[in-house]
Amino acid sequence: MFSELLTTLINNTLSKGLWNFSAELCLSGTIVVMLLMRLLSADRLLPTFIVGLIGAAAAGGCSFAQFADLIAANDTVSYSFFGGMLRQDLFSVFFRIFLTLFLILTIALTVLTGIPDNEDAPDFYSLLFGATIGMMLMASANNLLMLFLGVEMASVPSYVMVGFLKGRKASSEASLKYVVYGAGAAGVMLYGISLVAGVLGTGDMAALAEQLRVVAHGTAGLDNPEVLTVALGVMLVMVGLAFKLSLVPFHFWCPDAFEGASAEVAGFLSVASKAGAFGLLVRFCVGLSGVPETADLMTAFGVGLGVIAIVTTTYGNLAAYTQKNLKRLLAYSTIAHAGYMLMAVAAMLVMLNSDQAAGLGKAINYSIGGLLYYLAVYMFMNLGAFAVIALVRNYTFNEDIDSFKGLISQSPALCITMLVCIFSLIGIPPFGGFFAKLMIFASVYQAAQIHWAMYVVLAAGAINTIFSLFYYVRILKAMFLEERPADVKPVPLPAMEGYYVVVLAVMVALLGFLPQLVNGLSSIANEAGHAVLLVIGG
Amino acid sequence: MVGETLQKLLMTAWLLPLLGFVVEIFFGFWSKNPRHSKAAAWTAVGCIGAGFLCSLTALVMWGTASNAFDDGDAEGWMSQQADINHARHPHHEADSSEGAPPHEHEGADHDAEHHGSSEAGADHILTAVATEDDGGPKLERGQTVYSGTIYTLGVFGSLELTLDYYIDSLTLVMFTMVTLIATCIHLFAIGYMSDELTDEYVDHFAHKADGSHVHRPGRFYRFFAFLSLFCFAMLGLVLAGNIFQVFIFWELVGICSFLLIGFYTERKTASDAANKAFIMNRIGDFGFLIGLMVLWTYFGTFRFGDTMVDNEVVDQGLFSMVHRAEDGNFDRDELTGDVLITGTDGHVLTNEDGSNRQIPYYLLVVVGLGIFAGCVGKSAQFPLQTWLPDAMEGPTPVSALVHSATMVAAGVYLAGRFFPMFVQEVLLTIAYTGCITLFLAATIAMVATDIKKVLAYSTISQLGYMMLGIGVFGWAAGLFHLITHAFFKSLMFLCSGSVIHGCHHEQEMPKMGGLLKKMPITAITMLIGVIAISGLAIPGVIAFSGYHSKDAIVASALAFKNANSAHFLLFFIPLLTAGITAFYMFRLWFYTFWGAPRDQHVHDHAHESPWIMTAPLLILSVFAAFCAVGGDHGYLYLLLTGDEPAHLEAGVTAVGDGITLPAIQDIVDEHTTAGTWALVAAVSGTLIAYILYGTNFVNVEEMKRQLAGVHGFLTNKWHFDELYDALFMRPAHKVAAFCAWFDGAVFDRILHGAAKATVVVSKWDRVFDENVVDGFVNLIASATQSVGTSLKVVQTGRLRQYVMFIVLGVVALFAVMFTTFPG
Amino acid sequence: MLHDPDLNSYLFIGAVLFVCGVICMATKRNAIGVLMGVELVLNGANVNFVAFSRYTTLGLDGQIFSLFVIVLAAAEAAVALAIVLNFYNNHLTVDVDRGNKLKG
Repeated sequence: MFSELLTTLINNTLSKGLWNFSAELCLSGTIVVMLLMRLLSADRLLPTFIVGLIGAAAAGGCSFAQFADLIAANDTVSYSFFGGMLRQDLFSVFFRIFLTLFLILTIALTVLTGIPDNEDAPDFYSLLFGATIGMMLMASANNLLMLFLGVEMASVPSYVMVGFLKGRKASSEASLKYVVYGAGAAGVMLYGISLVAGVLGTGDMAALAEQLRVVAHGTAGLDNPEVLTVALGVMLVMVGLAFKLSLVPFHFWCPDAFEGASAEVAGFLSVASKAGAFGLLVRFCVGLSGVPETADLMTAFGVGLGVIAIVTTTYGNLAAYTQKNLKRLLAYSTIAHAGYMLMAVAAMLVMLNSDQAAGLGKAINYSIGGLLYYLAVYMFMNLGAFAVIALVRNYTFNEDIDSFKGLISQSPALCITMLVCIFSLIGIPPFGGFFAKLMIFASVYQAAQIHWAMYVVLAAGAINTIFSLFYYVRILKAMFLEERPADVKPVPLPAMEGYYVVVLAVMVALLGFLPQLVNGLSSIANEAGHAVLLVIGG
Repeated sequence: MVGETLQKLLMTAWLLPLLGFVVEIFFGFWSKNPRHSKAAAWTAVGCIGAGFLCSLTALVMWGTASNAFDDGDAEGWMSQQADINHARHPHHEADSSEGAPPHEHEGADHDAEHHGSSEAGADHILTAVATEDDGGPKLERGQTVYSGTIYTLGVFGSLELTLDYYIDSLTLVMFTMVTLIATCIHLFAIGYMSDELTDEYVDHFAHKADGSHVHRPGRFYRFFAFLSLFCFAMLGLVLAGNIFQVFIFWELVGICSFLLIGFYTERKTASDAANKAFIMNRIGDFGFLIGLMVLWTYFGTFRFGDTMVDNEVVDQGLFSMVHRAEDGNFDRDELTGDVLITGTDGHVLTNEDGSNRQIPYYLLVVVGLGIFAGCVGKSAQFPLQTWLPDAMEGPTPVSALVHSATMVAAGVYLAGRFFPMFVQEVLLTIAYTGCITLFLAATIAMVATDIKKVLAYSTISQLGYMMLGIGVFGWAAGLFHLITHAFFKSLMFLCSGSVIHGCHHEQEMPKMGGLLKKMPITAITMLIGVIAISGLAIPGVIAFSGYHSKDAIVASALAFKNANSAHFLLFFIPLLTAGITAFYMFRLWFYTFWGAPRDQHVHDHAHESPWIMTAPLLILSVFAAFCAVGGDHGYLYLLLTGDEPAHLEAGVTAVGDGITLPAIQDIVDEHTTAGTWALVAAVSGTLIAYILYGTNFVNVEEMKRQLAGVHGFLTNKWHFDELYDALFMRPAHKVAAFCAWFDGAVFDRILHGAAKATVVVSKWDRVFDENVVDGFVNLIASATQSVGTSLKVVQTGRLRQYVMFIVLGVVALFAVMFTTFPG
Repeated sequence: MLHDPDLNSYLFIGAVLFVCGVICMATKRNAIGVLMGVELVLNGANVNFVAFSRYTTLGLDGQIFSLFVIVLAAAEAAVALAIVLNFYNNHLTVDVDRGNKLKG
């Protein structure tokens, strides 16, 4: 019997698992190669970043092949592999492609800005790759164990990357705060997982709602001690995810870590780690939904997320007002944007658990699709902003707004890129950020038809867009309208760096201007949103 | 294939100057040394030069494809016409021999040849003629027009605004002419404008309030940016495939003209002239807009030609919507007299209720007059002619390019382009307008002393000739003159620019004289231009371009006079003016280059211009002399008339007491007579000019005193400025003064009362506003700000407190969950 | 008097460990002490897992969970210690309150 089990396991692994896991395997292999190369001193012959790019490209190729497979086999494919640990569907593959693309962009940026130097390159890229694998695991997790492993796998390398500027006091302080805060949050989350898994008797995320129904014996209210325990556990898990998403009140690490870290790392963390966490959050929330008995509870949960989204967005936007350091300012902006994206998840939860869910299929897909579209645009616009900061820092050795004053006279390309990125971050049409925000607000509006509280969320989102205008425009005002102070070093711009940022800006613009791109990407995002719901039967 | 290639070539030629404009206008931004670099100028030259090559290629291609160059046989013009006629009536015998169904409308020959296309499928061929006749390789020439849509700007209901192209012989010749002349003038301007290559340009003609000269940075690159923009606009106007698009570019050349006239913007005269030009043009454009509205209302399209896809008409253009019967008149409803609107096959189109679509005849007149009003403004015809002489305030290359050779010719071009839609009444108006203009301007030119002003009035006069030509049914003659005039007038303007440059911005001819030795190249090339415009020739031996084109116009006028004896002035005045033209042009030449120097100071400092200015003179003089070689057997004429409107050939028969328009044959018959008369007039004018200004036989000053009355009348430009002042300006001032009085006496009383009441209210309002509204707004602003500041306090930077916040957060969330979640 | 402890007893132990860990993290100024607090929190959860695997349908999954957590805790501790060392290199102390430059 045992041998039979083993054979099945091996067969399944070889036939499906390995191929589904090929992107992660490519990245893992690349880490090994990079570390071995330094052992053999081969990194002097072949720069590490080239190996990294090749590995990332291979992972991207595998992801694309999987994407093609899934599209060819219709979008209704969703199955777990590796003994139910991971799940393969369009949603996972979307994140694999997204993350490898972002990985490549980040490697390119680090090559252009010269952080890390040659000595540290294998270390740095190993950490970068490791974190990326963790984020991929988060997005395809199908078990509470993988949830925890994915979060840790993404976090632990991130702690080190934040502290990568070894001689800097700020950097070491930032990484210490990050690691302690992260470890604390992870501990809380693990405790929550132990409660959820223990009470429900399973780690399978797809079965959470069903198990809850069984355990609750039909009375799914908080007066039932089992349900109360599970609710507490879910809340503790949410604390861990909120830490990854830097949601208020679990955001404290974020400004400090971003300010202490180099702009490249901050850019990576602000996008990739958030993306992975949102993938995980969506899977977790979907797993908890879809059973009529717990629908009220989950709707309340969704509204709660909406309230957290309001608080987060408002907090991020208001706290950004008085910031002088640009990385810190963008950290608060990141917090605010996490709030916007969380609105989509809240809307999804409210719609998914309403009694009209069957008729709202499209709208639910659309809310997840909006989130994914937002992430895709956010990747380009936020990386663009951080890239500009990194490039300017290389000349002025300063990341304050003052060092950006009057930059237009010296580096118009950087300023235009910043302009495009910031306009998109604000959500000014016709840039990508506008459509992303529009899609999310549209689904919040849909959800508001079901629960009135979502109107409040919608209004808060709209008001916050206006709040955010002021501090973003402050950056632009400094760059375009003010005189360049005499004591700030000039910023020339070599061609390659200029091309890089301009490409990012063009992508941000195209994601808004080019209807084919907007439609294409959003329809893929909606398909992926459909795929993730298959686990509870569509 | 030909159509596509032509379209691509012309679009390249059209868009290159736009690219140039963008590059040049940001030149100060891109260049390290923008005020001293000629790179912008060479960019402009490169763009327009490349555009010229494209246009020339297109022209040759089109000519080859449509057999335009095969003049071959010795029988000359008439046989050529016969061939064209033959080509236009394609093979009735071929139709029957092939068993093809005969045409329903035998009279519809000018638009019924679609079936005979031998061109490749995707081309948009309006009309093409089958050449695979059984008779062997006989010369066939077809009307070959390519039209289609480049880009759709927008669709508003049934109104579709598009960028179209309409390529026929006229388009191609205009393209080549404009680009060639523009290239020469760009080159010339590099030399002429070189004093702008400085960080501090001193404008001796502009004064500040304290009387000192204006000092400003040089604007070399800006000048070339404007020139490039102008070229783009002009080429766009010529390429335009619908009348609305024409209007767009019409306004764009207007704005370029405004910018270039006012280039020396610190000079009050220049900025006034720029305003005047712009406002005068607006008056004409108002008529243009009315015409457009009527067109849209009744025809529902702005397109000229039919848009073809695979030889099927998908969008019908204006030209095929009105149908001419065999006598040349429009098909009209027998009862109402309205003009019928027809489909491409001559069938009358119907409305939804089944009635015939038609447009009242008088509205068709309104359309024609409206469009022509635009032409009047742009081409400085009477009564809107006064802006053009003032426009000479711009730099001389601008005068040469914009205000003589190309932009002002746009009016004539449009009149020619829109010719198929003009009815007899409109044509007669055009003819008389041209006739008045040409005489008026020529008389003023006789007494003007500023060298550029003489040329400016000469330009107006020549434009009058062209309008007259078009008005008297000499379509080809008018446009022929447009091309030749462009060459010799741009030549003469550049020569005058060279003189002005050489004499250090002296423009008064009485201070010149005897410059022939100092500036030989300028003088000789100028002489070529003068001979060309005067129409001097030795018939049968040598004749410069002006002779051919002007004779064609005079011949048309004579034929018109023969057909309509009441309108004899339309022949005699141009004839007389031909003499006047020769007189004032030779006066100019003798004044400037001949005899003894009248101002020793100017003469001593005069010098020949550098090669970059003289080279364009030489190139242009060749064209001015020889571009029309062969007259109406020459290549230029044949190319130009390749696609002339079909009803020209047989003329138009009068309806009732109306106007008869002469057939081509009638005009040809009068050619010799008219040519002789015109030559006599020109020679007499030349002789008088020589006697008065070339020799010392007659004391000119004495004559001037004797004729002081007439002279004064003419030097004051027929008192037009005063007339307009009295007619429009002063009444306007009076009305304005009355309004001001009424305003002060009546309205202000009421208003003051109201104001006092308002003040009382507003005092209360202010209290409310400051304390409540402002307080609220400030509260929000300071609240967000202070919340932002207070949020900083939360972020203490202390790690242990952060961890504490996790705990507090969890506890708080749990409390919230426990209290609010459903039980 | 001795009788089999039930599930709640184990959970109680786990909860006590968890709370101790959190308090330790929030109060200790020594960075090493803070990391020990982290270990306590994780092990509190581990006790829960093992207890659940004994008493509920979670079964062996709980044991696997705790094994993975132990491994991860080791990895995390290694990284955290390296970071503390880096902090020490820059600040010449492991007092976490000395890291207060980044704030606002």
